[in-house]
Amino acid sequence: MLKLSIDKQPVEVEPGQTILAAAKLAGKEIPTLCHHPAVPPAGACRICVVEIVAGDRPGLVPACAYPAKDEMEIQTRSERVLQSRRMTLQLLLARSPGSEVIREMAKEHGIKELPFPEHTGTGDKSDDCIMCGLCVRLCQQIIGTSAICFDGRGPERKVSTPYSSRSDVCLGCGACAFVCPTGAIDPADYCPNPLEKIPNEFNCGLDARTPIHIPFPQAVPNKPLIDRENCIRFQTGGCGACKDICPAGAIDYDMTDEFVDEDVGAIIVATGYEIIDPSIYEEYGYGRYPDVVTSLEFERMVSASGPTNGELTRPSNGKPPMSIVFLQCIGSRRETNGKSYCSKICCMYTAKHTILYKHKVHDGQAFVFYMDVRAGGKNYDQFVRRVVKEQQATYLRGRVSKVFPRGDKLVVRGADTLSGNQVEIAAEMVVLVAAMVPSSGIQELSQKLRVGYDEHGFLLEAHPKLQPVDTNTAGIFLAGACHSPKDIPESVAQAGAAASKALGLVCHTRLSREPTIGVVDESSCNGCFECEGVCAYGAIGPRELTDNKGNPLGTVAFINEGLCQGCGACAATCRSKSIEVQGYRDDQLFAAINAIHR
Amino acid sequence: MVVTTQLETSKGLETLRRSLVKQRKAKRIGISVCSGTGCRAHGSMELVEEFRRQLYAKGLTDVDVRATGCHGFCERGPLVVIFPQKIFYHGVQIKHVDSVIEKTIQNNELVESLLFKDPVSKKKFSLEHEVPFYAKQQRIVFRNNGKIDPAEIDDYIAADGYAALAKALTRLTPEEVIRQAQESGLRGRGGGGFPTGKKWEICRAQAGDEKYIICNGDEGDPGAFMDRSIMEGDPHSVLEGMTIGAYAIGATQGYIYVRGEYPLAVSNLSIAIEQSKTLGLLGDSILGSGFSFDVDIVRGAGAFVCGEETGLIASIQGDIGSPRQRPPYPAQAGLWGKPTNINNVETWANVPVIIDRGADWFASIGTERSKGTKVFSLVGKVQNTGLVEVPMGTTMREIVYDIGGGTYKRRKFKAVQTGGPSGGCIPESLLDLPVDFDKLQEAGAMMGSGGLIVMDDRTCMVDVAKYFLAFLVDESCGKCTACREGVAQMHKVLERICQGDGCDGDIELLEQLGPYVKETSLCQLGGTAPNPVLSTLRYFRDEYEAHIHEKTCRAGVCKALVRFAINAETCKGCGLCLRDCPTKAVSGEKKEPHHIDAELCVQCGVCYEDCPFDAVIVE
Repeated sequence: MLKLSIDKQPVEVEPGQTILAAAKLAGKEIPTLCHHPAVPPAGACRICVVEIVAGDRPGLVPACAYPAKDEMEIQTRSERVLQSRRMTLQLLLARSPGSEVIREMAKEHGIKELPFPEHTGTGDKSDDCIMCGLCVRLCQQIIGTSAICFDGRGPERKVSTPYSSRSDVCLGCGACAFVCPTGAIDPADYCPNPLEKIPNEFNCGLDARTPIHIPFPQAVPNKPLIDRENCIRFQTGGCGACKDICPAGAIDYDMTDEFVDEDVGAIIVATGYEIIDPSIYEEYGYGRYPDVVTSLEFERMVSASGPTNGELTRPSNGKPPMSIVFLQCIGSRRETNGKSYCSKICCMYTAKHTILYKHKVHDGQAFVFYMDVRAGGKNYDQFVRRVVKEQQATYLRGRVSKVFPRGDKLVVRGADTLSGNQVEIAAEMVVLVAAMVPSSGIQELSQKLRVGYDEHGFLLEAHPKLQPVDTNTAGIFLAGACHSPKDIPESVAQAGAAASKALGLVCHTRLSREPTIGVVDESSCNGCFECEGVCAYGAIGPRELTDNKGNPLGTVAFINEGLCQGCGACAATCRSKSIEVQGYRDDQLFAAINAIHR
Repeated sequence: MVVTTQLETSKGLETLRRSLVKQRKAKRIGISVCSGTGCRAHGSMELVEEFRRQLYAKGLTDVDVRATGCHGFCERGPLVVIFPQKIFYHGVQIKHVDSVIEKTIQNNELVESLLFKDPVSKKKFSLEHEVPFYAKQQRIVFRNNGKIDPAEIDDYIAADGYAALAKALTRLTPEEVIRQAQESGLRGRGGGGFPTGKKWEICRAQAGDEKYIICNGDEGDPGAFMDRSIMEGDPHSVLEGMTIGAYAIGATQGYIYVRGEYPLAVSNLSIAIEQSKTLGLLGDSILGSGFSFDVDIVRGAGAFVCGEETGLIASIQGDIGSPRQRPPYPAQAGLWGKPTNINNVETWANVPVIIDRGADWFASIGTERSKGTKVFSLVGKVQNTGLVEVPMGTTMREIVYDIGGGTYKRRKFKAVQTGGPSGGCIPESLLDLPVDFDKLQEAGAMMGSGGLIVMDDRTCMVDVAKYFLAFLVDESCGKCTACREGVAQMHKVLERICQGDGCDGDIELLEQLGPYVKETSLCQLGGTAPNPVLSTLRYFRDEYEAHIHEKTCRAGVCKALVRFAINAETCKGCGLCLRDCPTKAVSGEKKEPHHIDAELCVQCGVCYEDCPFDAVIVE
């Protein structure tokens, strides 16, 4: 470890670290512009100069690029340092008088006027470029493409592309614009094919995310993952910046997706729900008018961790919507072209949304079009009434026939069935409270698990009253909206029940079953496996028979006792009469019949 | 080349040398024709051909004609020296060849018209070493220039070439070579003056088998051409020096980075490398010692900043020639990240002599902390321009007046600018300053690579500073803010002053920007860029003040501040100014005082330069 002092404060750093890193450890702030932790330093902007007082050749050196040495004494705010920094800022300000970042820094350093004339630029974003070259170094050394470079030298230097033509090798990753300290880069200026922004799935695509990201807040585990489809490292072999800057060395590009085999005693299906795509209802204009959003999108918009950090704004112009209309039952309770069932949770969360709306837009007015307010639950009805009364949300019973734009607003035309009038509301935002549907892929999963599903794709319970969390396949249980529309309390309750059931199965060392299960007579079974096809529970599989020397004798059917439900389908199918259900053997049935006839 | 097989031992080299010397002794007379770039431009190559043709025609086969490297006295080229007497002829043209052969070669008489005549004393000099320009010089680096044909390795070997290499490889360990370099007191001739032996020692101490040697031949200072003359005139001395250096630090590959504008240097170096390889003086197991070394030439593309070592390395690697922050120093991580030793051409050329004649001998020349000689390119407003090599410690007065013959047209001396764009000015009051690394530094100038620009009272010091800063603005790589923006702003201030728009506070702004640029810049280009301004401010502040407050340029250079007039008392009415004035602003009758019409005058200064009586004055 190297021992040095920064502003007289002792600090220890590993050999090879820069003065800047040491200062950071010592809690001393040094301004930087051309520095980025993932990019090798250049010491180009000279804003980070510090003074070496002792321990090395005395003088001003750039903290970002100068290695720390043992016994070094550094001053980060000596008069000499501040004078140099002020002059650097004055020069940069003369070069880029329009740059917000430089202006702000200059202000912080007490610069009021410039001793030199300001540079007159071209009037575009590139005037803010301070030629620090961070983008060029990044593109060359980290991304590995060298799509941008310097052109000219001295004061004529500028960031450009080779031969000033649009660069074929540019990946369009936009990393240059991302690191630019003064925001002077518009990749569209030289990139022929800018990469599409990666929509943030968790925020319903309302904002963009980086290829390396944490899928959503409170994700388990709460760790970042790399989206290989969009990661430059995986697409081109370049970049690798995340690995360079990760202080824990946790990035491993060799890790791949893997299939994990686990032997389990029980499975709980909790695949949740999605909402119906409301663009199929053209009258509401979803997908055509930016201010028409779904209830889930609205939920993300008002969330503090959402795309606008909780600020509710209209997607069309970024201003807060002064009037908002919630259209309930979009796709729900609809016999044709929709779902016939009630999505159950929408009435309550719409009521909540109106409250959230009023919290965000105090002067705004909320309208709700509803069919019936179904607020069946503890304190649910009171909640809705409170919304109407306290938040002054206008509830209109009826359906909406059309949403169309007028000026910068959206006109919602619908019927108020209570007054019998047609109403038109000029809204600044329309929220479509869309129907709840099972997760996509649930059919595939249900077939895999041999669990039935209903006409809408919700998974079927074993018995609606007596076995609401069981399925017909032993050891598989249901929780939450995969089973039917449910709100959070219900889902939690069902999940608890499913967990108890599962624990009831696995907490014993032995599995107790009804004894009435199928048994194969291996001496007569000819291994045709007709039975395997008819077993609804996947309980039948092959079994190799061998003699006592291990020589194979043939394959016969085998019934998994844990899975067999004793339905007898296999016994009825077996042509060689090799399967019988215990307790229901033919001779036992005949004996029972004879006993009745006696 | 007489021998075209590899020399396998140093004994083989000695045998070859003896036979070559014997062969040369057989020739009665030698005619050395300077074939440096300057004399070539004056047709010296045609002169060589003509000498050969006429000698052949006359059957004079015992006369050897050599196209040699630069003799240094470029002002008077083409130069011819007749050996063994060393008769010195200057300004020789094809029409003179006949008489030179007839008189000097055949009848041992002098051709009077070609002898050097001192412009002041009118005295004629017939022998080279008697000519004042050469009399005070001591030629160590230039030991072979003027004697050998640079395209002939035999000439170099006959002149004791590669003896130092043979000595180093067979009789000295690498450590001993380094010790010799250290004891000699040799300091880097590229400008910085870092002790060469110390540099080698640091590089040798670095871990790793792969190390590089670089010869910095990117001589970019305006008006400097010492390195060019060495590379053109004595390329083997550079190669030999590099090979000895490589042996000392343990390098196996060397690069010579030659400025793109030096095609003759590239050509002569390429020939030299080929010939050395043929004789086994470069390549695998040199002279059977087991030590292998190879050299390649890299041509620069004309960027001044590539003379800075890290910029030069970047350029060799194919990157943009921009310097980088040091440390790590090239000795630690240089070319391709390997330990690399960079020395200037002149430094390398000194190495063989030191090894050959011993460190003590070298250390006996020069001053206490600057040993040996230094080659200067003496240019500007001086009578004898050219390359001069003098021992360290020679005074500036000796260089300018004794060797340089004083100022041009005997005008009043004002200053000597040393060290090129990074250097500074030495005023008249410091003319007796012994020239060495430290004394120049103390005076606010620097040795630099050795440019000496003499200035007289018709040189405007503000304009000089502006000129150098314009050069540096052009040549700044633009990487760091201090140099890119700071030097440009300083240049703008100087431009303003020269245009008559200077105002209060301009000098103070220059004095504020100067030290800032010096201490904040990334490399030594920026680190020394304000020197021309700061040193002229130090010694000639009154000129700046006159420009700003009185709006006058006494030297008559800054057009916006100058009005020319004719002094009726001194004007003899010769009509020279009237004849040359491009705008017909001068009027007057023959033998009557002339007059300049200020309305028509564009301040071009032709009349000012023309007037033999100094009757044209600056108002």
